[in-house]
Amino acid sequence: MKSARSLHGYFLLSLLLALLLQLIRLPEALSAARPLWVALMIAYWALREPRISTLFTSFIVGLLLDVLFAAPLGQHALGLVVVVYLVERLRSIFVLFPLWQATFALIPVWTVFCFLMFWIDGATQHQANAWLRWLPILSTTLFWPLVFSVMELLRQAPEEE
Amino acid sequence: MNSLHETYRRPLFPRGPGLGFRTFLLALASLALIFHDTRSDSLQPLRSGITVTLTPLVWVAALPSRLLNAAGDIDLRATLESENKDLRAKQLGFEARLLKLEALEAENRRLRELMASAATLEEQVLIAEIVAVSQDPYRHQISLNKGARDGVYRGQALVDAQGIMGQIVEVAPFSSKALLITDPDHGIPVEVNRTGLQTIAVGRGDERGLRLPFLPSNADIRTGDLLVSSALGGRFPAGYPVGEVYEVKHLAGEHFMEAYAHPRARLNQGRQALLVWSESYAGADDESAASPEPAVPTATPPATPEAQPTPAKPAPTQQPATAPAAKPVAPPANKPAQKPATTPETPAGPPRVRP
Repeated sequence: MKSARSLHGYFLLSLLLALLLQLIRLPEALSAARPLWVALMIAYWALREPRISTLFTSFIVGLLLDVLFAAPLGQHALGLVVVVYLVERLRSIFVLFPLWQATFALIPVWTVFCFLMFWIDGATQHQANAWLRWLPILSTTLFWPLVFSVMELLRQAPEEE
Repeated sequence: MNSLHETYRRPLFPRGPGLGFRTFLLALASLALIFHDTRSDSLQPLRSGITVTLTPLVWVAALPSRLLNAAGDIDLRATLESENKDLRAKQLGFEARLLKLEALEAENRRLRELMASAATLEEQVLIAEIVAVSQDPYRHQISLNKGARDGVYRGQALVDAQGIMGQIVEVAPFSSKALLITDPDHGIPVEVNRTGLQTIAVGRGDERGLRLPFLPSNADIRTGDLLVSSALGGRFPAGYPVGEVYEVKHLAGEHFMEAYAHPRARLNQGRQALLVWSESYAGADDESAASPEPAVPTATPPATPEAQPTPAKPAPTQQPATAPAAKPVAPPANKPAQKPATTPETPAGPPRVRP
């Protein structure tokens, strides 16, 4: 049984990794389809680990994302906070689903995130190509089973020792 | 897999504020931040503080592409030799042209003094590396590895060998962010090189480049026209190429027509960019609050101690020497003849030819 401290260590480490994945340069054509790594990771922890509070952390990580992307401060923070809220609220439903069903059940969550980003960009007079914006929903959905299984493996492995 | 962790116990009597309430508070805080941040600059210290803390993260994120670049730099001796030869030949050509340019510059200065115009030609540039970090695909921005420590200021123009790239929008001590001219938030005053028509080029936010809205329907502009920066607004140095018109569109039933242009600068390629200290910065008052150095009313830009500022012209030392010599002669000669009030401070005349 892991101590709460090492659990928090893993949590922060995985968030750092997600931030890095979000930052690493991709070819121009792929960058619009980049999955929402940070939202994926935060949602995983919010779903699987009720012992740590993801809500406030998601706010802070969102602020970091805002600074990295030079977005208005609070834009990604709001999106991530809402994602965590939705996932935690619906946790009791999600844990009953098998993985593939949960993958589909999470699509509305990513949609809400993308919509919030789109809406805030619109409200702050920053127009952008509206159709490519919804592409991350698809890629994030595709990556969810992968992230979920890998994180489960990583998290269970040390516990068996 | 589809069960909760065995240590999970739902607290029978949950303490503290509930999930919904906490979410509400944080969402409210986010909205307040968004509102505040888009309306004022007061959160800038927080932002640059976070940027500094995140510097290692950005460095690590840029590592893969830097390694790839390093691997790409390994070259055959023969290729290097032939490249060296090419460059030598090119440099010889440039030097020959530079000789002529110096004479032309001196002549231009004398002519400008005769016209009592305040604009000078001196500019100083600094090479900045583009940090290979992805940005929001919906914002056309790049990160640079030079910051306030090198004298970079907000609103500074960024060029590459082909033309204007954009301007600095955010400055942290060791890094800065630049907004490219193709961003939908960006507009740059330009003039058509062929006719001198003044207009504004707005970014389109996609790969297709720039848009020139609200042109009079009889404006003389056609496909292939070169757009150069005009010094209106005083932010960009005059005379740099900005783009090339590829389509002129007459809208039926509209009073205006639109033109579209491809940016000249290679915005998505290349690892380096040039930061330009333009002379109008010295007298500019709108952005001086954001700059660390006090504005001085001379043409000399703030000195940058650490980095090597490569001057645009190779002989900057001799220029101040000739300027004072010519000055005492010129003003008495032209002052009574000309009305100084009507002379615009930044003449929108023919763009200056650059080396």
